[in-house]
Amino acid sequence: MLYKGDMMKMNKHLSGIVTALTMMLTAFGGTGVSAERTEFTVGFDAEFPPYGYRDDNGEYVGFDLSLAEEVANRRGWTLIKTPIDWDSKDMELETGAIDCIWNGFTIEGRENDYTWSVPYVDNSQVVVVKEDSGISSPSDLAGKVVAVQTDSSALAAFTGENATEENIALYESFASLTQIGDYNSAFLNLDSGAVDAVCLDVGVAKYEVEARDGFVILDVPVASEKYGIGFMKGNTELRDEVQETLFEMLDDGTFARIAEEWELSDNVCLSREETATEVSVSQTADKKKANIGEICLDLLPGIGSSLLIFVLTLLFSLPLGLLFALGNMSKIKPLHWIISLYISIMRGTPLMLQLLVVFFGPYFVFGIQTPAGYRFWAVIIGFVLNYSAYFAEIYRGGIQAVPKGQREAAKILGYSKFQTDLFIIFPQMIRVVLPSVTNEVITLVKDTSLAFAISYAEMFTLAKQTAASNTSVLPLFIAGGFYFIFNFVVALVMKQIEKKMALNK
Amino acid sequence: MLLEVKGLRKDYGKNTVLRSIDLEVEKGEVISVLGPSGSGKTTFLRCMTMLEDASGGSMRFNGMTAFEERDGKVVYAHKKELQKIHSMYGLVFQSFNLFPHRTVMQNIMDAPLRVQKRDRAQAEEEAKALLEKIGMTARANAYPDQLSGGQKQRVAIARALAMKPDMLFFDEPTSALDPELTAEVLKMIRSLAEEKMTMVIVTHEIPFARSVSSRVIFMDKGYVIEQGSPADVIDNPSNSRTREFLKKLEEE
Ligand SMILES: Nc1ncnc2c1ncn2[C@@H]1O[C@H](COP(=O)(O)OP(=O)(O)O)[C@@H](O)[C@H]1O
Ligand SMILES: [Mg+2]
Repeated sequence: MLYKGDMMKMNKHLSGIVTALTMMLTAFGGTGVSAERTEFTVGFDAEFPPYGYRDDNGEYVGFDLSLAEEVANRRGWTLIKTPIDWDSKDMELETGAIDCIWNGFTIEGRENDYTWSVPYVDNSQVVVVKEDSGISSPSDLAGKVVAVQTDSSALAAFTGENATEENIALYESFASLTQIGDYNSAFLNLDSGAVDAVCLDVGVAKYEVEARDGFVILDVPVASEKYGIGFMKGNTELRDEVQETLFEMLDDGTFARIAEEWELSDNVCLSREETATEVSVSQTADKKKANIGEICLDLLPGIGSSLLIFVLTLLFSLPLGLLFALGNMSKIKPLHWIISLYISIMRGTPLMLQLLVVFFGPYFVFGIQTPAGYRFWAVIIGFVLNYSAYFAEIYRGGIQAVPKGQREAAKILGYSKFQTDLFIIFPQMIRVVLPSVTNEVITLVKDTSLAFAISYAEMFTLAKQTAASNTSVLPLFIAGGFYFIFNFVVALVMKQIEKKMALNK
Repeated sequence: MLLEVKGLRKDYGKNTVLRSIDLEVEKGEVISVLGPSGSGKTTFLRCMTMLEDASGGSMRFNGMTAFEERDGKVVYAHKKELQKIHSMYGLVFQSFNLFPHRTVMQNIMDAPLRVQKRDRAQAEEEAKALLEKIGMTARANAYPDQLSGGQKQRVAIARALAMKPDMLFFDEPTSALDPELTAEVLKMIRSLAEEKMTMVIVTHEIPFARSVSSRVIFMDKGYVIEQGSPADVIDNPSNSRTREFLKKLEEE
């Protein structure tokens, strides 16, 4: 039994651990606030061209990275380019793992969350659709599925605190607003028809539309906004240093030259006249930070989704696995070959890849447009196919573990093959395989989080999104607790079943 | 004639295990099959019970052909006929092969219900009578793992009897048992003989074979080398191999 005092102690321990972790990260990051700065670590989303991305040679390049390179050179720092998970950018910054976020980073809506440089790019949020979609203005988006990047300015333009009435009305007219982890998969979704429109920064939009075929940008932007460099709140010292060097680059024309290199001359807006959005440290008004109750409420639909994936996967794959096991042991050679090939592919490739294939395959392989609701069924189909293969192998082992004499006794007694399997072999097989099945079921609980690969908002995806929008790790801890409890219950249930099956010994 | 086997041959690849074996069994006969280990006794039983496919020869039950040789190939009867023939006999294994997930009662009742589609109440009554007969009424709800070897074999015999077969095959029914448990199983088989159950029993229990059998067969290296009344084969064997084998058993 835990009493309140113990709980508080535990909390203290926890926060102690977090502090220690933070300090370790800071130490390893080598970015402590030392007087002699030698390194400059820039965090960026590696899938955000042309600001920061991985080019064909595998190098991290982009407008922002070129600017950062120049700044570092002039200051005598070594530039360290650190691609980060966009959902975790605040944690990266807070732990000191990175010095700044420099990556087409929108100021609007985040004014109070960072210490900002002056804006250097004027960007707007635009809508990209397929050429033949028949959508020509934002108002045509009513009843459509629209995608935005997780915690992006496009998302903020629709659901953020500073969203305009117009955009809120627009948002409410959508069939749904889907959050997708990166732009590449957003465009795959758009191409396959899984979403009808993608809303994103104009710079990225121009780049993507030029690089791909068949997309257009709508003339009317959804929102306009500015990019700045985000530093940890209060770190005006580093901000001032970087900003001063930027101004020098502006004066000697280097800034304009780099902008031209990246075809962003029309978008840049750096000027000495602009003043940095100054926020005093005391004004740490954590207005976005929600309490545990609100976070749990936010995560609730995710819990439902995870449970649904779990239940449906088991419901279909447990019996399907048996069919595959029988097919694999079949005397009909071609059937055996097909099933065993299928099983080895399913067991030999990552589930995440299989989910992508199931989701995008129908369009990119067969040209079949999939309806909006397909995302969910792709998750279920992918999981069922994968888990059926694992169960098939477990069952096969279990069936082979039943002594040969059992089949012979049944044959002598006149049972048909089907009756023998159903009444003699399977019941014995089930007892043999139960521990292995339990293992798989527990793995499935954790695997449900892989649905994020195709942007299905299950528990973990939602926790990451909530963590990003609340700039807090709490949702992740809550998610962890959820998986732990979920597994605990599953293990308990499976133990009961095993006990029941063990006969009265 | 209940069973008629002619020229039965069995090959495992190039290895011929049974060579042209003939056997005729009349209703009510009890036949013991003796012979050293590896002589082909089990294979012989498995071919007759059709757990193993024969390589040559023919077999009939109650005048129905189970298989026969045509153009040097063994041809089995059609499924329907085979099903009928299957229902004419039972087999008791050396290793019992009871269904471990079923109670004693269920082991006995399951096949009559599922295979023969008998009336449940009637099948239950008959199963209870069989339990009474093997003296295991008290263990009706026990699982096989909770029984001694002798008890398991008695249940296996009851399970075979519940199907009301015309004849029973036994493959060394007591070889897996301790001597004290052997006696209870042999006593039961003896009582079946007294009820005129037709049986073919592979066994190493010579005194039992002598007293219970109407005929004794001696096998060696896939041949039946001697056959006749117990008095002839066991007490006055004409073949030197038979003498050798019996002597060895006595010494043990
Ligand atoms: N499935 C099999 N495959 C190949 N050879 C076998 C097989 N079963 C039995 N044999 C061989 O057949 C011969 C007779 O075996 P078996 O009938 O078991 O003899 P017994 O029951 O008299 O001891 C032995 O030489 C044995 O090795
Ligand atoms: Mg044998």
